[in-house]
Amino acid sequence: MLKLIINDKNITAEEGETILQAALKNNIYIPNLCYDKRLRPYGGCRLCVVEVEGQARLFAACSSPAQDGMNIKTDTPKLRKYRQTVLELLLIHHPLDCPVCDKAGECDLQDLAYEYGKPDSRFIRHRKASPPDVRGPLIELTANRCILCGKCVRICRDHQGRGALGLIGRGFPTVVQPAFGEILECDYCGQCVDICPTGAILSKTFKFKARSWFLEEKETTCPFCGCGCTLTLGLREGNILRSRGKEGIGVSDGNLCGRGRFGIDYINSEHRLKNPLIRENETFREVTWEEALSHISSNLKETINTNGAASVGAIGSQRCTNEDNYVLQKFMRNTIGSGSIDSSAALGYAKVQKAWNMAFGRNSHPIDLQSPYGKEILFIVESDISVTHPIFGLNILEASRGGAQLIVADSRETKLTRHSSTWLPIEDGTGVALMNGMMKVLIDKDLIKKDSAAGLKGFAELQAMLEEYTPAKVSQITGISEEDITAAAVALGTAKSRMIALSVSATENTKGMDIALAAANLTILLGEDPSTLQIPAEYSNTYGLYHSGVRPLKPEDKGIMEILYGDQTAFSALYIMGEDPVTTFPDSSKILKRLKSLDFLVVQDIFMTETAKLANVVLPASSWGEKDGTFTNAEGKVQKVFKVVDPAGDSKPDWMIIKNLALTMEKELGVRSLEDIQAEMKESQPTVTDEETTLTFNPAKYVRGEEPSQEFPFQLVIRDVLQHSGVTSTSSKSLDLVISEALLEINEEDAKKQGVKDNSHVKVTSQHGSIFLKAKVSEEVPQGTVFVPSHFPYAKINTLTHLASNGESPISVVKIEATLGK
Amino acid sequence: MLQEIDRVIQQYKGKPGSSIPVLQRCQEIVGYLPPEIQKIVARGLKTSAAEIHSVVSFYSFFTMKPRGDHNIRICLGTACYVKRVEEVLSKIKDNLKIDVGEVTEDKKFSIETVRCLGACGLAPVMVIDEETYGAMTPKKVPEVLAEYS
Repeated sequence: MLKLIINDKNITAEEGETILQAALKNNIYIPNLCYDKRLRPYGGCRLCVVEVEGQARLFAACSSPAQDGMNIKTDTPKLRKYRQTVLELLLIHHPLDCPVCDKAGECDLQDLAYEYGKPDSRFIRHRKASPPDVRGPLIELTANRCILCGKCVRICRDHQGRGALGLIGRGFPTVVQPAFGEILECDYCGQCVDICPTGAILSKTFKFKARSWFLEEKETTCPFCGCGCTLTLGLREGNILRSRGKEGIGVSDGNLCGRGRFGIDYINSEHRLKNPLIRENETFREVTWEEALSHISSNLKETINTNGAASVGAIGSQRCTNEDNYVLQKFMRNTIGSGSIDSSAALGYAKVQKAWNMAFGRNSHPIDLQSPYGKEILFIVESDISVTHPIFGLNILEASRGGAQLIVADSRETKLTRHSSTWLPIEDGTGVALMNGMMKVLIDKDLIKKDSAAGLKGFAELQAMLEEYTPAKVSQITGISEEDITAAAVALGTAKSRMIALSVSATENTKGMDIALAAANLTILLGEDPSTLQIPAEYSNTYGLYHSGVRPLKPEDKGIMEILYGDQTAFSALYIMGEDPVTTFPDSSKILKRLKSLDFLVVQDIFMTETAKLANVVLPASSWGEKDGTFTNAEGKVQKVFKVVDPAGDSKPDWMIIKNLALTMEKELGVRSLEDIQAEMKESQPTVTDEETTLTFNPAKYVRGEEPSQEFPFQLVIRDVLQHSGVTSTSSKSLDLVISEALLEINEEDAKKQGVKDNSHVKVTSQHGSIFLKAKVSEEVPQGTVFVPSHFPYAKINTLTHLASNGESPISVVKIEATLGK
Repeated sequence: MLQEIDRVIQQYKGKPGSSIPVLQRCQEIVGYLPPEIQKIVARGLKTSAAEIHSVVSFYSFFTMKPRGDHNIRICLGTACYVKRVEEVLSKIKDNLKIDVGEVTEDKKFSIETVRCLGACGLAPVMVIDEETYGAMTPKKVPEVLAEYS
């Protein structure tokens, strides 16, 4: 601990902290333009100069380490004059076009010029006057306003791990731009927009929308992935005009990805449902809420009377709040009298929960977004976490830059593999075999915690099962060399601390429950506690949904398998809230058949989804941003979401619709307001404090589902793209500008053999159906595998997929045919 | 050529601060550094194209334009300037019918200006390939160029 004095105030600082860091921590502001806490000191702008007693020269506070006994002054006449000169120099080239600059009012340069600048300049002004680069879809580069602090270049390269921008040139003509003046093609995270201290990098979606001083700011939780970042929304006249991250707020601490920053405009889509609709033959008729609810009420009652309550099922949503989901399951259990309720998490996160329970004896599995830090080795298995959970991905990259060894097993190049110390190019869907092989190496080389592991339940079985997973065999399955498998296992075994991370999501088809079990076995074998294993929940409220009771709880309760895929006669009515099974669930032809066979289907959603098109009644729900409530992120943190804009049309919050429906059915739920629900939830779900951990080994064999054959020679791998999250983000106009269609990525050689050209259309056929897609020929894709994202409803990717058993990886095999013409 | 570049990249891969030597070698091999080569270097060194381009654009040693078989570097430093190097330069330009930074049609010559060649005693001075020519005058230009044609 260091003691120093800044402006006559005694403060303390940690060893290694700079003067600026120590000052900011103690709420002492020192002017700066090129500093950001996420970046290494740069010392470029020279505005943070301070005087240190007994030293003749001035110190740049951002790059001078704080020392014991320093007596520092941050604001003296000498420093003011010095800063005045720096600003005078910066403003020679700046266009001073603040009246038409979106940054005005929250611009660091403007604020500092106001504070220190002088009205006249000793220099002849030479304003830069190059036209702005408006070619990119979301981000605009206005080089004229740039002061060349390099913050954008550094955040993109050093923090975001992308490096899309560079300081091109030398001296005065230097400009910030993509390599070779090409169109900016990047992650579209917009971190550069937030970090720019002037108006040189702007969000195109916010341009000329409002002066910053007219914006009302409101913090809320992001509706997309399980990270649960805090968005700072800029609102005006009842519209969300922008979203940005703010340092020090929420789990994201100022970071955001492109989805949270640009994707939330999906709520303004013209395709939003505005009124309740009742099916009349092939069309829908707009009706009042009263008519819709009494129609549902009488139909559900009739179904219960004729086929029994158990013939009614429901599906909840990972995108709806805890309150919505809680009310839905309460409605099902109390008003209807059926516990058959489940969600798409059953095909993703519920598998993790089950594995977690089997391996560690625990019911909740919160991750820790900070867990990569301080670990010696990070092992990522078949998961592109930078895409599925971008902020968690940033922490992994940051930790690896801090010295952690990063081993990534993935079939194709990703941001994580690019930044890894070791990339194990693995055959898709064989992660279980890889980990089994690694465990065998660890046991054979005696690198396991024998005393703790050998006594555990299942150890003998695990050891017996692992016998066949010799490096030679594993190498044959995974395509990774024996040496690499052994080296990775030894590195993991000898490290002092480790993190193993992966994702198991319903929108990926390479992993099932077995991979979570294998990862848990590996964790236990290494003598680590469960916190070593990090498997984040997929969406904004996947974690909360699971814990609000939207899943079968009793033995007689039916789950998603029975509700959507099981016996055709078991269900006669379904209530689907905020989910589009036809698009997002595997084997959609089976689902279509099931939904069409129902007597009565209610779909409550924000859009007219493919599923809603089949419904008897469609109810318009308010979206995120139009209702209050809570989301629980992957860390198990309950975070508030706020109503910031008016609901679209006549839409209502999901919980309110269901509450009203219960009222119509004369079986009140006993909750009238959000507060009632929250109070009841608190009571019924005691907060989980440290659960007891019971370790068990669950040997998981590598099982192959569909195998490539002569007829279907390609593996179809479904993966998320960075700019989208689930289905909702595809309704965002902004994100649509970046990626608006499902492209089938195919290897160059394969494309040649099949006669497929880049950008041409192909027919993709599996054993379950066929669709047409546009092909993208890529050298980054391994041979024999084609990649496609499942976000886009129109692409109907799930026509090709099949429902796999819980454990195995559900990869489907397909054939690719070039279509004639183009 | 690409194989040679690949060898260079493999040799320096993973070593910190390797972009400048790699680019230097690539420029020797190719003669200049077009975007395609820079992209290959960026991929090979696990860095971004923007990063490589910023290095290339910063150092005057690197060029993104092809040079002639014989590169003329002519000094515009103080000593040479005082000794009327401008006249020598315009004579060369007239003679070759190209401007600074350009290449003759037959790809034989290119002209580049530099700040100092460290041989002020010989001012005005120019260097063709590795050969230094001191005390240049416009008159001498045709005979010097003739040595290379």
